[in-house]
Amino acid sequence: MTLTREELRKLLLPGLAALALAAAGAGMVWGAQQSVRSAELRLAAAEVDRKESTERLTRIAEEEREVKEKLDVYQQLKQLNILGEEHRLEWADAITRIRNQRELLDLRYRVDRQKLLVSAPGKPANVDFYASTMKVELALLHEEDLLRFLADLRASGNAYYSVKQCVITRTGQAATGASIVPRLRAGCEIDLITIIDRAAKR
Amino acid sequence: MAKRRILYFTAEDHYLYRSAGAGLELETKFSGDDLGVTAFREHLRGLKGELFCVLVDVAGEDFHEDQIPFLRGSDRDAVLQRRLAQRYRDTRLAAALSLGYVAGTRRNERLLLASFTNTQQLAPWLDALEEAGTKLTGVYSVPLLAPALARKLGAKGGRAFVVTVNRAGLRQCFIEAGRLRFARLERTVDMVPQALAIFVRSEMLRLAQYLGTLRVLPREGPPVQVFVVAPRAQRSLFEQVLASDSRLVFHTVDEGEALRSVGVRRAPERILGEALYLHLAAKKPPREQFASSAERRRYQVWRLQRGIVAAGALGFAACALYTGAQWVDALQVGGRAASQQRDARLAAAQYERITAGFPVTQTSTENLKVAVVEFRRIAERSVSPEQAFVHVSRVLEQFPQIELDSFNWGVGRPDAPRDRPPGAPPDAAAAKPGQSNAAEMLELSGRVNATQRNDYRAITAQVQRFAAALGAAQGYELVRTQLPFDITSEGTLTGDIGGGSAESGEAPRFTVTLARRLP
Repeated sequence: MTLTREELRKLLLPGLAALALAAAGAGMVWGAQQSVRSAELRLAAAEVDRKESTERLTRIAEEEREVKEKLDVYQQLKQLNILGEEHRLEWADAITRIRNQRELLDLRYRVDRQKLLVSAPGKPANVDFYASTMKVELALLHEEDLLRFLADLRASGNAYYSVKQCVITRTGQAATGASIVPRLRAGCEIDLITIIDRAAKR
Repeated sequence: MAKRRILYFTAEDHYLYRSAGAGLELETKFSGDDLGVTAFREHLRGLKGELFCVLVDVAGEDFHEDQIPFLRGSDRDAVLQRRLAQRYRDTRLAAALSLGYVAGTRRNERLLLASFTNTQQLAPWLDALEEAGTKLTGVYSVPLLAPALARKLGAKGGRAFVVTVNRAGLRQCFIEAGRLRFARLERTVDMVPQALAIFVRSEMLRLAQYLGTLRVLPREGPPVQVFVVAPRAQRSLFEQVLASDSRLVFHTVDEGEALRSVGVRRAPERILGEALYLHLAAKKPPREQFASSAERRRYQVWRLQRGIVAAGALGFAACALYTGAQWVDALQVGGRAASQQRDARLAAAQYERITAGFPVTQTSTENLKVAVVEFRRIAERSVSPEQAFVHVSRVLEQFPQIELDSFNWGVGRPDAPRDRPPGAPPDAAAAKPGQSNAAEMLELSGRVNATQRNDYRAITAQVQRFAAALGAAQGYELVRTQLPFDITSEGTLTGDIGGGSAESGEAPRFTVTLARRLP
């Protein structure tokens, strides 16, 4: 059956209608497929969420014990001012006090600028560990003076003191009756570590 | 379903019916003369584009059986047109009905050629339809619809007669294997029901005898079923009169029942058996009909239009069906997701309730853990020099002749090669899995007193014993021992035996390096 121009014109509108219907159908199919895909993604996310929540709930007793135990340490860190900003003035005061109390002959120190030691990922914010390296030189009568100095420094708080290096050498000076002469000289490098918890309440 | 009009064409008057749904209505009636044609033309005004078909119920219809070779497509059409032209002078209203193929090697096709003996009576009516711009679906004769009616009435293959009392007269159609073989129309005058029934019986016997003469109906064989549609309320009378015999078995069907069988729910009161054919022509028209393609052109374009839209609608429906299934899936998956989310929320709420009873912290639980764990890790790798002092002091007590000049303690990496005797146990200071590479390093420099400076053997023995004692406890391992002189084959060994320099008083110096792996 060969169609005339007039007949073809008559078929134009039904053709357009058929195309519109087909397009609408394809649109519906696409929409439905998108909907299924979206629902599947929601389901996957919900399954992960539920699994995590359930596992966390299962571990809650262990977590409670862990929190209690860690809270003690955390509070100690806070009490010792290890947790929080640096207290450089308190460090200087502590060193002066130790020198006076222990009657150390000579004590020189220098605290370098603070640097980031490690940034531990936390939730909702990271926990940053900073270290300021202190170089200290002491004149000693006896090596016990160094050990007492380090012990007093630790007890003074305001940072966690991590000793990196200590060198003790003989001065070679002979003792005289008139004055006390140091027999040993010590040089130490100590990291003064402080912690900044970005999620901590002020 | 589109509304259709059917022109019921008889030898005298013509009736225009309207078919919509299961109903049949008489729209108007026209006389068979020129006045009728004029009235018909008038009536068609305003019906442009409407669907029409013509149902012819006249006596002058010719049936002729013929055979053509086995052909297909345009070749078959050409042969059919030639056969029709040979048989009929006017082929405007002629049709060739296939009766199947002759068994055998040539497989000739059997045909029933059919036409009207007087097509001129139909021509002005068909012209009027064409001029009015209507869509002619087809021109049918009542016999063409008889096979469909026979099936509706219960004829199951084989040979059967369908007999109806129409407005045009008594219509008898002979059907073989579901195909029309012969038909005739016998005019009836007004008769009482009993006379009509007797007339039906006598006409049936005559037709059977005629077909037997033509050898269309075999003389021997099973009886032929005759389905007679009796006018309303005359069934019992017909049943009494139409007694079956060895050749014909009569089945009388009430007209109302027959109408229901073909699907007519509403019909004009004074209509007769033609209602059955009118309804079939409107709802289930057979493929075979008399009108040419040119006369049906508008209808075919209309069907094409509908077909295109129907294809679109079918595609849309398929998409809608698939979409529905997908939505059901999406709803189910969404339901499962909602259920999982609800469970997660419940678990989270329960977790929150329980953790609310935990000790008050000044940070998040996560940060609390992280801060303490990382602090512990740093603290574990931070050591104090006190232990090293204690260890060295204890060893020194065993070696009074050794005096230390310097004590260098630090935390670093034990990169230097170790002094280990052959066959010694594995390196204790080597990093184990999970351990850090950091180690506590200790370098001691000193002198050996109370031993002659040129007594290399004694000095070497004392330094090595001292170093071994240092590396034998507290997890320390000897990394390097530097003697006051080089006793290896690669070095230079010097001596001044009996000279004054050996007694100069400067004790020989040595260096011992130790390491202890940190956790």
